[in-house]
Formats: sequence, C-alpha cells, structure tokens
Amino acid sequence: MRKRWIAVLLAAAMASSVLAGCGKTKERVNEKGESVITIWSPSDEPAIEEWWIEKIDEFNQDHEGKIELRREAIVRADSYAYEDKVNAAITSNDLPDILYVDGPNVSIYAANEVTLPLDDFFSEEEWSDFFDSSKQQNTYGGKIYAVGATESSVALYYNKDMLDEAGISVPEKKEDAWTWSEYYEAAKKLTKDGVVGTNIIMDKGEGLSYVLEQFWISNGTDFVNEDGSSAEGYLNSPEGVEAAEFLNSLIQDGYANIDPIQKEFHNGRAATMLGGSWEVATLEKDYPDLNWGVTYFPVADGDGIPTSPTGDWAASVTKNVQDMDAVKEVMRFLFSEDNVTTYAKAISKPPTRVSSYDVLTEYNEYPRSIFKEQLMETGHPRPRTPSYSVLTAEYAEAMLNIFTGVDPQEALDAAAAAMDKDYNKYYAQD
Amino acid sequence: MQPQQPWTKTITSIMRRIEKGGLAMKKSINKVSERRAAYTFICPAVVLLAAFLIYPSLQTIRYAFTDYNIMRPDRIVFCGFNNFIELFQDEDFWIAVKNTLYFTVLVVPFQTVLALALALLISSRRKGVSIFRAAYFSPQVTSMVVVAILWTVLYNSSPDSGLLNALLVKLGMEPCGFLNDPKAAMNSIIFMSAWQGAGYQMMIFLAGLQGISREQYEAASIDGAGKIQSFFYVTLPGLKSVIQYVVMITVIQAMKLFTQPYVMTKGGPQNSTRTLVYYIYEQGFQKRNFGYACAVAAVFFVIVISLSLGMKKIIKAE
Amino acid sequence: MTRKKTLGNAAFYLGNTLIALIFVSPLIWMIASSLKPEAQIFKGLNSLSTFIPTGASFRNYIEVFQRINMWKFIGNSLFYVLVIIVLDLLVNSICGYALAKFEFKGKSLLLTLVISLMVFPAEAIMLPMYREMADLGWINSWASLVVPFVAKCFSIYMFRQFFLGIPDELLEAASIDGCGPVRTFFKVVMPISGTVYATIFILDFVAHWNDFMWPLLVVTGEEKRTIQLAIQTFFGSKPINYGPIMASLTISAIPMLIMFIFLQKYYVEGIASTGIKG
Repeated sequence: MRKRWIAVLLAAAMASSVLAGCGKTKERVNEKGESVITIWSPSDEPAIEEWWIEKIDEFNQDHEGKIELRREAIVRADSYAYEDKVNAAITSNDLPDILYVDGPNVSIYAANEVTLPLDDFFSEEEWSDFFDSSKQQNTYGGKIYAVGATESSVALYYNKDMLDEAGISVPEKKEDAWTWSEYYEAAKKLTKDGVVGTNIIMDKGEGLSYVLEQFWISNGTDFVNEDGSSAEGYLNSPEGVEAAEFLNSLIQDGYANIDPIQKEFHNGRAATMLGGSWEVATLEKDYPDLNWGVTYFPVADGDGIPTSPTGDWAASVTKNVQDMDAVKEVMRFLFSEDNVTTYAKAISKPPTRVSSYDVLTEYNEYPRSIFKEQLMETGHPRPRTPSYSVLTAEYAEAMLNIFTGVDPQEALDAAAAAMDKDYNKYYAQD
Repeated sequence: MQPQQPWTKTITSIMRRIEKGGLAMKKSINKVSERRAAYTFICPAVVLLAAFLIYPSLQTIRYAFTDYNIMRPDRIVFCGFNNFIELFQDEDFWIAVKNTLYFTVLVVPFQTVLALALALLISSRRKGVSIFRAAYFSPQVTSMVVVAILWTVLYNSSPDSGLLNALLVKLGMEPCGFLNDPKAAMNSIIFMSAWQGAGYQMMIFLAGLQGISREQYEAASIDGAGKIQSFFYVTLPGLKSVIQYVVMITVIQAMKLFTQPYVMTKGGPQNSTRTLVYYIYEQGFQKRNFGYACAVAAVFFVIVISLSLGMKKIIKAE
Repeated sequence: MTRKKTLGNAAFYLGNTLIALIFVSPLIWMIASSLKPEAQIFKGLNSLSTFIPTGASFRNYIEVFQRINMWKFIGNSLFYVLVIIVLDLLVNSICGYALAKFEFKGKSLLLTLVISLMVFPAEAIMLPMYREMADLGWINSWASLVVPFVAKCFSIYMFRQFFLGIPDELLEAASIDGCGPVRTFFKVVMPISGTVYATIFILDFVAHWNDFMWPLLVVTGEEKRTIQLAIQTFFGSKPINYGPIMASLTISAIPMLIMFIFLQKYYVEGIASTGIKG
C-alpha cells in the first residue's frame, strides 16, 4: 500500500513538472489574431534594455490588431555563448523571426540558408544612407542578409605624457598616419621603466582577427579570396607572412606584451594601444587622470593601404519566419533614421546611417571624429565566408603560436589549410 | 572525534526487545515482495537515466556515423566509418589523447598526496580546525570564473604584472611563461587543478582518518614507533580503501578535463593543453563538425569506461 | 612537556594559517576587488597590495542590483537547484538502497551500468539532450532545467555504499515488526541516514549552482534566467567592467559558503560511512 502511494507521488511530481513546464514553441499568431514577431538579441546594459522596451511598446501601439512584437534577451558572454545557443535552436527549428548576429557571422548563417536575404526591405535610396562598411559586412553572394544600427572602429590610443617626454609627435591627419616602421620605432622608444611601447592584443579570441586582419589588408592581401572560399594564398601569402612577422617583432623584441593585463594602457603600463571606439567612454569616465589621445590606425610601409577594423551586431531574418510582410514592417521601424540614431546614442556606438551624424554631433569632434573618419573612409569589415568560425579560431591559434616561437609561414599555412578543408567539406558543392 | 555510529543505539534497543520477547530470528524475508519493492525502488531512477542519459548518448553514437553539420539539421548524411577513419589519422586527436593522459597521470598522484597532507595537517582536536577545513575547501566553492581570472593573472608571464613571476624574479630566477610556454602550460594547469580539487579529497581523507582508532596509534607508540613510522604502519594501511576510492573518482574527473582549457588557454599554446573533452566541444560547437565530434566522443567513452572498469577490477581483486 | 605542547600548537596554527591563506586567496581577491573602484582592480598585480581594497565602497554592489534583477535570478537559481536536490535525494536514495539491500534480477547489470555511466561528460551529449528537450516542448521551462538531472549515477553509487554499511539485522528486526520493505526504508533506514543525505545535498548544490552551459542552452529571456547566466551578461559588454562582475560573483558565492559551513559536520561523517568499504 505504502509503495503504491510513493509511486503515485513520484509520478505526480514528474507529471506536474512536465505539465507546468510545457514550454511553448514559438507562437506565431496570438489570441488576438495578431502576427507575433519575435526578436533575439543580446542582453545588454540598462540603457539599451530600456530603449527596447520603449520602442517595442511604441511599435505595438501603432500596430495594434495586426502585429505584436516581442523580444527575448539572450546571454552573451565573451566567448561564443550566444552562438552556442543559436546553434542549438537551429537543430530544433526553433529560431526567432529576427535574429541579431555578430557581424562576421552573418555570412555563416547566410551560406547555410539559416537566414534570408532582405534586399527589398529598403529602397536603393534608403540603402545609400547606410555605411558601405556595414553593408559590406552583411552581404554574401551579392545579397544583403542583415541590417545593423551601429558600427565599431579601432584606432591607436596614446599616452600624451609619455609621448611628449620621448619627443614623439603624433599624426594629425589621416594622410600622416604612422607607417609600420614609424609605429615600431615609437614603440621601441617608449618601452622603458616597466612600461611597454604598445598593446596589440585586445583579447586572445576574436580580438586578434578583428584588429590584426587590417595588417594583412594594408599590406595588399587579406585573409581570404573574394568569395570567401579559400584562404590558401591569402592568409599565408608572402604579404601575409610579412604582416605576421611585423606583429611578432613587437612581441619578440619586448615592445608589446604577449600577456597584457586588463586595462594595461589605462593603468599606464603601455604607452599606446590599438583600442576600440568604445574605450573613449571608459577613459573619460573611469580614468580622468590619464592624459590620453587617439590617432589613426597604422599603415603598411611603402604602398600601404589605409584601412581600419569595422564590424558590429546586425539583425537578420531567419528561415523559420512565417509572416515576411510583418517582419519587413518591424525591420523598417527598427532601422529607421530616428531609431538608428536613438539606438546608437543609447549604446554609445557610432551609428551606421550617415544621416544620424547630423543629430549625433559629438562625432564631429575629436576624439570621436577620428572613428567617424575611419568608418567613412578606411573601414574594412572582416571576411565574409561561411567558414568564418573556423578561420577566426585557427587564426587566433596561429598568431599565439607565432608569438610563442612557431615559424610564421608554418603557422599560417596550417590555419589556411584548416579553413579550406572546412569550406571544401561543407560548401564546395553548393 | 569518532563519529558516533548513529544506529548502534537503535540496534541495541531492538536486540534487547527481541531477547525479551524470546522470538526466534525467522528468515522472514518475503522474496516476492522484496523483488517487487526492488523494482519499484529502482524504477524512477532507471527511467530517468534511460531517458536523459542513455538515450542522448545513443544519439551521440548514432551521429558519429554521419557528417552532421550543426547548421544544416536537414542534411544529415550517413557516412559510415569515415569519421572514425579520419579520427585515427588526425594528429590533433592523438595530441588530445596524450595531453589528457599526461594530465591524468600527473594530477591524480599530486592532488591525492596534497589532499592527504592537508588532511593530516588538520586532523587535530585543536580549536579552529573547522576554519582551516573551510579554507581548504573554499576553492571548490569559488566559481571557476574567478579562479580562472585570478590564476591567469597570477600566471602572467611578465614580472611586472604577474605575482608568481615577480616572486621568481625576486628570488633571482628567470620569469616563466606559465601559460605561454608550451612546455609549461599543462603543468601550470595541473598545479592549479590540484590546488582547486584537493579540498574535496581532503574531506574524504579526514573522514577516513577519523575511522582509525586512537588505540592503534597508542599501541604503535608503545612499541616504540616514532611519528613517521606510525604514519607508514598505522595511517596508510588504515586508509587503503579510502585511497582506492579517491583515486578512482579523481581519475574519472581528470579524464573529463574541460573547464580550465576552455576558460584559460583555449587548447594552446601550440596544442599543449588541448584535452579530449575540449576537443569534442571545439569540433562540435565551434567548428560545427558535429558528426566528427560525436565520433571523438564515442572513442572517448570507450577509453574512459575501459579505464574505470579496469580499475574497479583491480580494486575488487585486492 | 608544556613547552613542547606550546611549540607544537604554535607550529600548527602558523603552518595552517599560511597554507590556508594561499588557498583562500582567490576568494579574498574576489571580495577585495568587488569593493574597489573599477580602475583599481587590475592595478599592482605583481605585489600583495592587490589584496587590499583601496578606496573601498559598495558601489559595485549597488550597480549590480541596479543593472540587473539580481534577486530574481538568485531566486531562480535557488528554486531550480533545490527542486533538483529534493527529487535527486529521493529518487537516487531508493535506487541505491535497492542496489545495496535487495536481491533482484539485473542487479549486477544495473550496478555496472551505474558505474560506467559516471564517466559520461556532459559536453559530449549536450546537443542531443537539447534536441530531446525541444522535441518534448520543454525549452524555456523548469522541466528542462530539472528533470534530466534528477537521476545521478554518482549519487546512486554513494547511497549504495552507505546503505551497504547498515547491518542486516536492523532490517530483519524491522520486518519482524511487520514492516514491508518500503516501510522499512522510510521509517527505519532514512531517519538514520541524515549524514549521506547532507553530503549529496552539498555536492549537488555546488555542482548545479555553478552550472552555466546547460541553462544557457535551454533558457531564453529573463524569466527563468539563473544567476550564473546573469553574471555572464557582464562579460558581454564592451568594455568589460570587472567591478560588478566581482560583486556579483561574491554575492553568488554566499549561499554556497553558508550552506557549506552549516552542513560541514554532516558532510565529513557522511563520506566517512560510504566509499570506504569499497
């Protein structure tokens, strides 16, 4: 008698947890007959979260009876957590209608037909208001797969006091940007008394590809070919090896740390740093005693091409969408001139629309003007290839290996081969 | 302090009742009702294990025979033993095997000895012992995130930024690239893992030490044994089965090493810290070679299961 | 004689204090950093001054509570971890008991299975498990956080070891008294096994409280977000602000520390009675 009672209890406990937990798969039409559009984007600071709540309410009020917009915030740590989650959703066909993805990943999803092209969401004229760098990042196979509201850039921050003391002058105009030799010499002069001349390692993951690819581009090559199908002959080209050797010389000669502590530049332990546009706000807020400045990204010697990193999150439309018209409405709303401007302001990042700069005038002043200039004139997005996750992981590993003594040609050859192998395995027949 | 066996009192009182009643100890076990009870008792656990452990594992093995790319769940193609053939020719796989075994073979004795030493250090009746116990256990309770950040900082290769290297330089030695030198990286992780895991095993040893009665030590010292001798002749034998149990569990956990490489070194530098489980994750999630990752997982299962069943046989044999 | 004792005492306390400090250092660094202003956290890492919270204040903690809904996330974590543990203790103990004290067909097969399954790494079966959750419609529900983890091989094995040590005479006496096997377990065995239950409680609590990967996959949005997920969101902002991270990590460590200190006594006794007899 007792044991039957226990069995019943257990069954009830489990049944109730099953019932209580019966999660809903994505609802596409709600009780009011409205089309439900779901957005997935990373969880962010309060200012952004508030922007979302405000805008979603506004949209839903305007579209009462027709569309209901919802957002689910996904946790994004700094190492691929967001992508892991999206991967899982792909396997169960459980994707939202609108999915925010990090810039270089747009091509991966596009090539795998996880996302759909959205060229016709905006007119020619409207598209021209968006930065080339942003559109380039979101284009694969000739079609646009995502829209972004913000961009990012990287420039050379410097410690004014240290440079003044060493008698080093800083380029004022884009044309005078330091060449690699000048950069090297400056770093050499500035390395003393426990301070290193520069910091080139933003982080040991995506940060390496993000910042350092530009050295390949400046030297006349790139990581991959035009259509993103092969790295062989590009990543490991002579120009590429040259770039790798230059970067390695900074480390080997002791002018840059292979293990920079967090906030190395901010704490005055590095005289210069290749840092992101977002550092401006941090420096202004948390390090008022530091006398700092910003100048242009270095250019290769000789015929070096002026170039700088770009790339930020963008919104794409997934294959699980059902009401394309509703989604188009939503996207046109989220990325209207006004909303791009307000979003960029809330998140403190440069907007992707040229028209936004009429409103956000702080970008016309130094130091933010440097980033705006770079975005408009020298910005180059990362490679558009479905094998990007392999490419970037291999590249990071190759660079770290080079920094710890492996021959650059060897390391880059291995990385290029790995990427090509991945592409040929899954995408070559398409 | 000897843990008072909680049921001795109960036994004694029941025994007394039986004697009083003069009942014969009948073998009153109803075999049928016992078997029914047994099946009811194991039913929930077995159902859950089957549904949520065995079933997904079988799926993993199934995928090992396909070329499943995570991005294309609609395009799963059976490809026979291709993945396994590739695996056995894959240099990175064998390096991962080597690294994992190296880690296991070194960390298990190191951590076990450390834990035993800590247990001996605080197996005392003095006041404040519980504070030390908590302190030695605290790395287990501290989140891996903090542990990783702090150790990455401690291991920083520049004496200007890393506490350990600053110390080495002060002592007149060369700074060491703890996490950057391919020869040192795995050892650095071993050291850190032992430090983190020792607390847990220490608790087990502490309990084991309490199980050795004081009389044995007194007898030994009467026989003229010093501290060291009584350790080897009383303590160690008394702890034999504890040590076996601890070693087995630690070996299994060591073979599964994932978090440290994932958070601290991403398998580098130069492949020196790539472990099997990290390799599985990397292939499956990052490079989206899910079919291949499952093949590696299948081989991993086989390796570790053979290892643990083998160890269990050795323990049984003794 | 007394001098030897005092010397011995001094050596004991000194030695242990030094070593304990080394072991506790990350915890101390975490707490100290959580009290420092952002700019101070990574200053002076090559000296012991990094352990001293200069400019100490609670602003990081205030920021944590302002930026995210910390109470809710702590509540979520507490809820699902405790549910797992309660079910876990029930389900696994009866299974372990059956393995220890009953004779039935398939017993040794089950035992071998339990021991073998202990080696499965979660990372390898995570994706098939996720698909299973999706097929059951459990994504974003408490069920997916709880149910797959109720049955645990390690717990079953530990319970079995402990119950092996209970004398058969006790059980026979109970059955003479008229208790069926089920009643015997709940009325006689369970009350005297507090120690092993406490042990499993602690182990499972620590394991699940710190779990990040699985909740990441099955939970979306903020409704059921756990505390580890919440802490990870701080790593997503550019630049990363370590002050709030340290503060939130400190907060998340508190329940575990409290529970450990409280249950320490049982913990030691519990392990003592289990794995020793192999």
